[in-house]
Amino acid sequence: MIDPLPQTTVDAVVQALLRVLPPDEVLTSKTDRMNRARVPAPFPVHRWGERVPDLVVLPRSSAGVAHAVKVANDFKIPIVPRDGGTGLTDGAMPERRGIVLDLKRLNEIHEIDLENRTATVGVGINMLKLNEVLSPYGLIYPDDPASYPCSLIGGRIGTSGWSLIGSRYGHSRDLVLSFEMVTPTGEIIFIGDGGGQKVSKSSSGFQLKHLFMGHQGTLGIATRATLKLHPKPEAEFSAFWAFSDFDTAYKTVGALARAGIATFGGAVLFDEWKVEYLRRDDEAYIPQPSSVRALVCAAAYGNEDETRAGGKRMMGIVHRLGGRYLGDEISQGDWAARHDRYATPLHGRTLNGQAALMGWHCEDAAINYTNLPAVRIAWHEIIERLRRKHDLFDDWGMFSYTSGNTGVDYLTEIDVGIWEQHLKEESWLAFVDAKREIAAVALAHGGSISACHGSCREGEVDLVPQELGGGYDVMLAIKKVMDPNNIMNPGKYGLDRAYA
Amino acid sequence: MTAYQYDRENTPPRAIKVTDGAITRFDHVYEVAPELMQENITQQSFPNWDTLRIVHSRAAYLAWMHSHWAGKIVSGEELLREVIAEQVFASGDI
Repeated sequence: MIDPLPQTTVDAVVQALLRVLPPDEVLTSKTDRMNRARVPAPFPVHRWGERVPDLVVLPRSSAGVAHAVKVANDFKIPIVPRDGGTGLTDGAMPERRGIVLDLKRLNEIHEIDLENRTATVGVGINMLKLNEVLSPYGLIYPDDPASYPCSLIGGRIGTSGWSLIGSRYGHSRDLVLSFEMVTPTGEIIFIGDGGGQKVSKSSSGFQLKHLFMGHQGTLGIATRATLKLHPKPEAEFSAFWAFSDFDTAYKTVGALARAGIATFGGAVLFDEWKVEYLRRDDEAYIPQPSSVRALVCAAAYGNEDETRAGGKRMMGIVHRLGGRYLGDEISQGDWAARHDRYATPLHGRTLNGQAALMGWHCEDAAINYTNLPAVRIAWHEIIERLRRKHDLFDDWGMFSYTSGNTGVDYLTEIDVGIWEQHLKEESWLAFVDAKREIAAVALAHGGSISACHGSCREGEVDLVPQELGGGYDVMLAIKKVMDPNNIMNPGKYGLDRAYA
Repeated sequence: MTAYQYDRENTPPRAIKVTDGAITRFDHVYEVAPELMQENITQQSFPNWDTLRIVHSRAAYLAWMHSHWAGKIVSGEELLREVIAEQVFASGDI
């Protein structure tokens, strides 16, 4: 456990910050600090106090961010960037206290370039709010995570986010053209494809954009970004189909992903555990007959004629494979509800069937299509063992989402209900062990520990060196060069060993 | 003008069991079966109008999300009818 900084040090840090920043950008109250101690991922509530930052900075400019980073270097104290705080791998959680740099005030739209189809924004803006502004121009920024209504552009860069319709438009790494970044030593640099702010493909120099996306705030802080815009779709098609067995649903999702449909936005496979979970509380699935054992959904976006043609081809594929269309009301309603998990309290069940208010957590991995069935069985066994040992956990089933438009790999997740109010050290550590086992299964099946969230939480992070091999040594070397004082989000990804 | 009647507003319609784990009191509105909410979570009394307000707000939100992402929605039911009609035509059964 890291002790809070002595008050005299906090006072000195505040004075140094106030040399450049106005008083309303430096927050020290208990409420301001405790609210930034966690993210939606489950955490050991009994250890909340260990993660409370010493102070919070809410800057309005890149220069303000750079000043805060320089102060952190001067005092050699941790600084942790936080955007929406909606990540599921604790990237924005201040593991070693210090300064939390909250970037929400960097929410300006600096430019909308209608000819080149780009928007340049502060990273504190949310995609939904940006798209409300873009809509009158007939444009959209189609980065669509489950956290769409609440996550921010900066977090999408820091986590290299995954999008539900990434099979159509790409993921954050494809949609962010370039960004301004404050390095761990406080310099402001430009990161993009080559040197052009609005260039989508360059072969000039090292390709740094991917390096500085997805580092979970350990290598710098993005402050302003230029984004690729698309025409707002004329039409949307979404469909949900029911199956009486998992195997047919699995074959169907593979057939849809491999069909080469240009407007294909993505497809999702729901396994039997997921369907049983949905039968508890979800108005679309409570009335479904017991023969419904697995589901597939798919979506398409684009010009109306192309979307209709793509949708019809999908409908034909599924019809031939025996899927039962659930109708427009369920299909359209459930697709529109795809961001719900960030907004709803969820009823879990204890082993005796009683409802309990549980937090949602999902462990994700990138898994090849051919390994989905085996991973599914192994993951459910892990969670079943966990809940038999500690009646605080619940298996909420699995989703497998297409990551691309060829069907090669899937963001595969198992959703776990956790009765956080009753977590104790023993049950928390059992959960951490289960997470490590889940990651090990992903690696044993040739996958990656995470397709979406990142892999720097307790448990799975232990296996990152194994996953990356010699690449992990490169990570350590880069970290040490970029962040000589180890002040930028220290403790994450095991990067401390770069300084051993 | 009708006086406010607390009992009328706060007495929900009779519950109909839908599955082992769910009941319904309003059309297309489901609740967790009360017997599953005895130990850890207990049910709260809830005015009828508020239940319906939440349901209607939810529908409005879903409609908004569609229009936020696209100009119009393509009906899967329409497409399925076309697929089936073409299959029948191709099979020579008409």
